[in-house]
Amino acid sequence: MIGIGVALALAVITVLLALADDGVTSLWRHAYHVPVIVAALVYGGPGVLVALAAILLYAPFVIPALERLGPSAQVLEGLVTFAMLLGSGVLSAALAIGVRRQRRRFETLVAVQRSLEGEVPLAVALVRLRVCLASRLDAEIGLAVHDGTNVAVAGGVEVAHHSTVAHVLSTGETVFVADAGGVTRPRRCFVAPIGAGELIIGALAIERAGDIGPDERRALLTLAAHLALALENARLAARQRRFAEELAEKVTAATERVMEVDRLKTEFVALASHELRTPLTALQGFSELLATRRFAPAEIARIGLIMATETERLGRIVSDFLDLTRLERGQAPPLRRRRVDTAALVSDAVELLRRGRITHELDMELDKPLPELDADPDALDRVVKNLVGNAVKYSPAGTRVRVTARARSAPRAVEITVEDQGPGIAEADLPRVFEPYYRAAGATASVGGLGLGLAVVKSLVDAHGGEIHAENVTPHGTRMTLILPAVS
Amino acid sequence: MFALEQPLVRRQVSLLDGTPWGAIVTLALAVAAVIVLSLLGLVPRAAVGVVGTAAAHGTLLGVALAWTSTGERRDRHAVLEAAAVVAIAASTAAALPGGWLAYLLPPAWLACRRPGWIGTVGAPSVRAVGGSTLFGFGLGVHLLVSAGLTLGHHVRLGPITDLVAWWAYDLGANVLSAEAFFRAALFERAHRRWAFPAAAAISIGASVVRYLADPLLPHSAEMVAGAAFYLALLAAGNCWLFARTGSLLPPYAAGLAFFVVYRLLATR
Repeated sequence: MIGIGVALALAVITVLLALADDGVTSLWRHAYHVPVIVAALVYGGPGVLVALAAILLYAPFVIPALERLGPSAQVLEGLVTFAMLLGSGVLSAALAIGVRRQRRRFETLVAVQRSLEGEVPLAVALVRLRVCLASRLDAEIGLAVHDGTNVAVAGGVEVAHHSTVAHVLSTGETVFVADAGGVTRPRRCFVAPIGAGELIIGALAIERAGDIGPDERRALLTLAAHLALALENARLAARQRRFAEELAEKVTAATERVMEVDRLKTEFVALASHELRTPLTALQGFSELLATRRFAPAEIARIGLIMATETERLGRIVSDFLDLTRLERGQAPPLRRRRVDTAALVSDAVELLRRGRITHELDMELDKPLPELDADPDALDRVVKNLVGNAVKYSPAGTRVRVTARARSAPRAVEITVEDQGPGIAEADLPRVFEPYYRAAGATASVGGLGLGLAVVKSLVDAHGGEIHAENVTPHGTRMTLILPAVS
Repeated sequence: MFALEQPLVRRQVSLLDGTPWGAIVTLALAVAAVIVLSLLGLVPRAAVGVVGTAAAHGTLLGVALAWTSTGERRDRHAVLEAAAVVAIAASTAAALPGGWLAYLLPPAWLACRRPGWIGTVGAPSVRAVGGSTLFGFGLGVHLLVSAGLTLGHHVRLGPITDLVAWWAYDLGANVLSAEAFFRAALFERAHRRWAFPAAAAISIGASVVRYLADPLLPHSAEMVAGAAFYLALLAAGNCWLFARTGSLLPPYAAGLAFFVVYRLLATR
């Protein structure tokens, strides 16, 4: 409609000029500026053609005057009108083009931001960007962005060696190829590095059958810099979201762990009260008996032995509590190291238990000779007794408990294993058996104990620079393996 | 996509690369020989016109084909081939009544040799051809009005056979060779190296020079100035049309429309 209006206006003005007495100096000639400026503002560059059309329409009035009068004032007015029509057309078109170009740039930047919204893989983000830029720039778009050790590509399968994009990625240079093929219309190719400062994260390629002028190339460089920031922002935002999610997961896990520890501590207090009460009740009962009745010397000796055993049991429980306190403070248990004969230590501990426990078959197999250890003998004795005691406690009567000790080389060490034929430990519980308070679900109901023994054992083994682990054996049973560094 | 797939090689084709100088020199020698023979009275004077037309337009058409060749062997002899085709058309038109129809031969021949120029690549819409015809026609009408008002020339409407002969010449030789060489070859080649304004300037300049050197153009100062002005405008428009559509049809239509009107101008 505007085009038809402009054409009509040109025609009407020309007719009015023709009807005027002197077309060259007629005031109607100034009316040409209206359609010229309107067309330039509406159509931009092509609108200048209306200025040319106006000049061509006005020329038949000026040129005869030039022929007739020569360079007179009238003709000069006509020539000035030519210049003014052309000037107003070009100026208005330049303004309109500038405003449109600026608007298009802002719209493109907003569209780029929108296409990177949401957390999507880089390849998907690049495809979105490519579609967005292709429609905005009316060109074929290629994008290649470093993604770790790979290069994510949109607009092609991969970045070929020695290609323009590969060159830009490796050098960071901007490349403009004036002739990138095309049959009758040459294709232009412009590749700009996508990067912030020295860091080149990718390349933006634009191809079009038509010009990519210097002004557009400058704008594309700005766009590439903006793309770098937008991609980097998207990457940082995604990383921040991931961190927040990981943090939330960790907080949840820690909270659950704290609740679990709290539950275990409550159970432990109940269990410890029970464990303490048993020897205390015995001590209280026998001491009252000794105070109120008279007994034969042999009976007094027997009661004394019982009281000594219960006191020892009480002492062991208190000792475990002290170890636990140290453990919770992160302190290593105190060790009095000296050279220890490993074979003697293991066989003494097992023999002692063998004498006390006759419900199980205790086998022992020791390498000869076994290297000596630089260790606290009391602590090691406690470790071995605890492991063998646990094996006896958690396996049915009449089954076999097997203790072995072997020398290991590279690094030089002693490996002690205690294997029972009990029901084994649930796979889920295996990683947690050395945690304080932790007792396997099946163990709590059938067997007494505070759940501290293995935690204390592990702390002692760690203090010696050794390692311990638990595993199930086929067909059933548990094997505890203890490795301690030997004296070299 | 070129940027991702093709090796980065900056092609630098000079403007005159691939020019079949040998064939051009051969044609020039042939024209010289015919002129000499004509001066000696061994061949009729009309033969000089036919050979001159064939040599000039054949050279432009042949060079256009050679410059845009993709390596076909036949293109090496395109100048001679084009000159032969134009010579057939020109001699038939000169020798036979209604022989002007022979000028349909060169466009048909060119359409077979370079189908891509017509429409297999970037087929122009009817609107583009119609618009460009209007553009050429408008420019021609303006020329008529200006020439009438300033120089007192008037419109001639006959004899119709003369007009038809001129129109046929424009269709089969004048406009065809100009658009093929100055737009599809020279402008296209320049546009591969430089931006549109520079490429168009070369093409416009060269085509204006070609018309000013044309012995068939009246050589009064007013006519030369007018021709330079209108042919520059026509060439500028045609460069834009070719760059926009990638087809030779719109500029060809604009040129034809302009010359159809121009031939109505009675210069005496």
